[in-house]
Amino acid sequence: MADDGLPVIARFEVRRRSYLAPDGTLLRPLPDFASDIPTLLALYRGMVLTRAFDLKAVSLQRTGRLGTYAVSLGQEAVSVGVASAMRAEDVLLPSYRDNGTLLWRGTKMEEILLFWGGDERGNLSSGPAHDFPYCIPVGSQAPQAAGVAYAFKLRKEPRVAVCLFGDGATSKGDVWEAMNFAGVHKLPLLFVANNNQWAISVPLKLQTASQTLAQKAIAAGFIGEQVDGNDVIAVRAAAEEAIAQARAGGGPRLIEALTYRLSDHTTADDAARYRPPEEVQARWKEEPIARLRAYLVSQKAWGKAQEEGLATECQKEIEAAIERYLASSPRAPETMFDHLYAELPRSYASQRAELSGGSDA
Amino acid sequence: MRQFLLPDLGEGLEEAEIVTWHVNEGDRVVVDQPLVSVETDKAVVEVPSPWSGRIARLFGGKGDLIKVGAALVEFAEGEQGDTGTVVGELGQGEKTVREAEAPTPAPARTLQVLPAVRALARKLDVDLNLVQATGPGGTITRADVERAAKSLAEAGPAEPLRGMRRAMAQRMAAAHTEVVRTTVTDEADIEDWRKGEDVTIRLVRAIAAACQAEPALNTWYNAEAGERRLIKRIDIGIAVDTEGGLIVPVLRNVGERDARDLRAGLDRLRADAAARSIPPEELRGATITLSNFGMIGGRFANLIVVPPQVAIIGAGRIDQRVLVHNGQPAARRVLPLSLTVDHRVVTGGEAARFLVALKADLERTS
Amino acid sequence: MPELTLVEAINLALARAMEEDANVVVLGEDVGVNGGVFRATVGLQQRFGAARVIDTPLAELLISGLCVGMAAQGLKPVGEIQFMGFIYPCIDQLVNHASRLRNRTQGRLSCPMVLRTPHGGGIRAPEHHSESTEAMLAHIPGLRVVMPSSPERAYGLLLASIRDPDPVVFLEPTRIYRAAKGQVEDSGEALPLDVAFVLRQGRDVTLISWGAAVKETLAAAAELVGHGVDAEVIDLATLKPYDEETVLASVTKTGRCVIVHEAARTGGFGAEIAALIAERGLTSLLAPVARVTGYDTVMPLPRLEQRYIPSVSRIVAATRKVCEFA
Repeated sequence: MADDGLPVIARFEVRRRSYLAPDGTLLRPLPDFASDIPTLLALYRGMVLTRAFDLKAVSLQRTGRLGTYAVSLGQEAVSVGVASAMRAEDVLLPSYRDNGTLLWRGTKMEEILLFWGGDERGNLSSGPAHDFPYCIPVGSQAPQAAGVAYAFKLRKEPRVAVCLFGDGATSKGDVWEAMNFAGVHKLPLLFVANNNQWAISVPLKLQTASQTLAQKAIAAGFIGEQVDGNDVIAVRAAAEEAIAQARAGGGPRLIEALTYRLSDHTTADDAARYRPPEEVQARWKEEPIARLRAYLVSQKAWGKAQEEGLATECQKEIEAAIERYLASSPRAPETMFDHLYAELPRSYASQRAELSGGSDA
Repeated sequence: MRQFLLPDLGEGLEEAEIVTWHVNEGDRVVVDQPLVSVETDKAVVEVPSPWSGRIARLFGGKGDLIKVGAALVEFAEGEQGDTGTVVGELGQGEKTVREAEAPTPAPARTLQVLPAVRALARKLDVDLNLVQATGPGGTITRADVERAAKSLAEAGPAEPLRGMRRAMAQRMAAAHTEVVRTTVTDEADIEDWRKGEDVTIRLVRAIAAACQAEPALNTWYNAEAGERRLIKRIDIGIAVDTEGGLIVPVLRNVGERDARDLRAGLDRLRADAAARSIPPEELRGATITLSNFGMIGGRFANLIVVPPQVAIIGAGRIDQRVLVHNGQPAARRVLPLSLTVDHRVVTGGEAARFLVALKADLERTS
Repeated sequence: MPELTLVEAINLALARAMEEDANVVVLGEDVGVNGGVFRATVGLQQRFGAARVIDTPLAELLISGLCVGMAAQGLKPVGEIQFMGFIYPCIDQLVNHASRLRNRTQGRLSCPMVLRTPHGGGIRAPEHHSESTEAMLAHIPGLRVVMPSSPERAYGLLLASIRDPDPVVFLEPTRIYRAAKGQVEDSGEALPLDVAFVLRQGRDVTLISWGAAVKETLAAAAELVGHGVDAEVIDLATLKPYDEETVLASVTKTGRCVIVHEAARTGGFGAEIAALIAERGLTSLLAPVARVTGYDTVMPLPRLEQRYIPSVSRIVAATRKVCEFA
């Protein structure tokens, strides 16, 4: 605008956090936790396991043994980085593309397969009992996360709600309404926008005119930070800081983890219909697993023997989980009624009996 | 199918050991996407994809040795078909379903009965078709059923209609739904007939004369085709009341036969009718019909025209009536005449002219 | 025993519930300082504090989503949607989440929330403030839909709804908020959910209704005495799940049924009851089931709204027709 002597009453800034370049070299000094090799190795293992599991799930789908599945290829650093910054007593509200987070927090692989294989029992997660299950209506978990965080604040519990969603979700009113409320009440809530730059076939530039997703927090009255979503160290560091702040009563934060969806939207989607292979090819050069591996190798903390060993370990774990999943049989049909209400109302007894083929009335 | 062969990894190596596959058969990959990690002497090396495409086949498993230049991965040609969805599966239809043209709907059942009342009717063994409905909208009520039950208890046994009665019921019903009836009447003054005149033959010949005067009534009408045929030959159906019911044998070619011949023919038909030995062809093909019901009683009647005919004449009982004759009241013998026509085909004028001609012929002194 | 209006009874029940259980939290627009636009929450914030009685931003979707999150965490949120006309952004959270949370987590998580809202027309309000779309909600598996018709039942049913471990949409008949008066004791006693209340015993015909329409239905029953008709009046109270047995027992006894609701006719909840009777009570029927309802039009603006809402004379006429059917 022209310099007309009008006073500027507000200015905002958004910072971007990254530590490792795509080739694994350091951009700046690492945060403290990253000098602990076992911590980094755990992060590496988490990402490798997530990717191996995802790809195995895809072949199950292709051979008709799993339903539609959403892979998080290329986004493993976001899932694992955020999860590793949470405590068990914190509450996770995921989207449907956060398997790395679920696995880190204790959900079993066969439970994930059971859910996508079409059985609600998959949501009887072995992870924390208070974590929310997958959320399919995009963004609708955000107001729920605000409710969870409010409960913590009301009860004065030092716990944090962590809400994961994608770039598409940030266009939804749900997310705005939740952020707005979180800002008003300084809720202990971390919003993580997993910006993989594609909402099925809609690219980021059609999703929003905002330069970053992080700055959407500013309108809600709190800090938004962008991190390189393919740098697991950056993701972990940002999440750790935000969660600590929230836990201490410092209010909510939004982290935009900028990454890229290297896969199709789901196993039924064909991304080649709407994006050029050259673009995807270029993005492969920035992917998170190779990046951390390169750094670990440069620190002499990783080599072929370990790579081999990890691959074998992952395969064994995954195979065992698949076997347990494939051995499971569907629930009896009348169990459709079992968790409809706390106690099944009398008027539904006859319908239940119809399914059980018995005299349940 | 394109095969990707293990490339030269450098340093004169001839083979490498597969450490880990990074892709599965069926996966879509892009150029440079890591396919597999293989071990050379020195290190574990990632082998990137040379092309974008779908992986059809992987050669070898973990631990296998692959020679440089040997097949490593096979790519499928062509694109995977568009699933047409982003979740789940859309089933494909096997064949095109041709939906049958909607048939003409069967006529609606017209019985309006509440279930409780229906159950009562069953219990009392009442045929609902016999019950007169007095409820709103033609509904049969409990009271209606109870009343019907009482009446039926006092009525005689049910007698199914057979033979001629059954045929009459069907024929009359069909005629009624189709024909648009209109009737015109008159009386013929037959005081001046000679004694012992053959009434039926006079009537028959008078009809022939009327047909000549007004041929429109000696006609067959095909409603479906919307066509009528005027017929030269006059074949008169004569309604005969027998023990078994009503039959209508046909007196053929009345216009060209004399009175004696007609009488003989008529007698033969009556005899055969009484003996129930009329062959079916004798009952078909009438072009116009006479009902001489006056032989039993009654004056005028609104008769039934049976398609494809378009007219029927009814002769009532001959009686003495007081009329005005030559300006003075006088007792005269009269023959009542009824002419019913199908007004789809016959105009009022044609019917009137026919009747006038019929009357005129009858009033001729014999 | 004090005589209270329906909205005062609601206020009493809320205060009682908040007193007994520290997990009960009230949230909505204008519920705190202002005590609610209908004064349903008056005095609560002063008594229980702003942390438990929350003036939310103007965001209905948020209110319903907050309730889901709070409930999953063990709080007992009672959200207020200012008018039923504004409940539609909440449908996502109600249908996709609240009603399903228990089922999709196989009991691991549950959703003991209540969403309260004023229901129906007749207060000469501008458009969108007179909605009665309870049939939409009664269609959703896993929800409860409750509608009181008197101050006593408002108190008892709201307490039951708050204590219930499953999500409840509590519809409050706006036009009898102040018009209905009753003796309400602050006993803390809840009335049963899923149960219909027989407000008047009768022999000749069963009249079924809910919400504000119960008032006209009872008035019609009184007038019908003069026409020699002894009507049984049932307040359905819980629409989902509803008390099929009481309905069927009454229709078996009388053989005739008239259903009265303000909501539009087609697909209205009366259709469900008529279907139940056709399925399981047909052989008792001596006349067709009649429905006296709002028309299949948008609720008109106030000049015409009294022609839309089923009147006593419409109910009487329909009932007489049913009784005189053979």
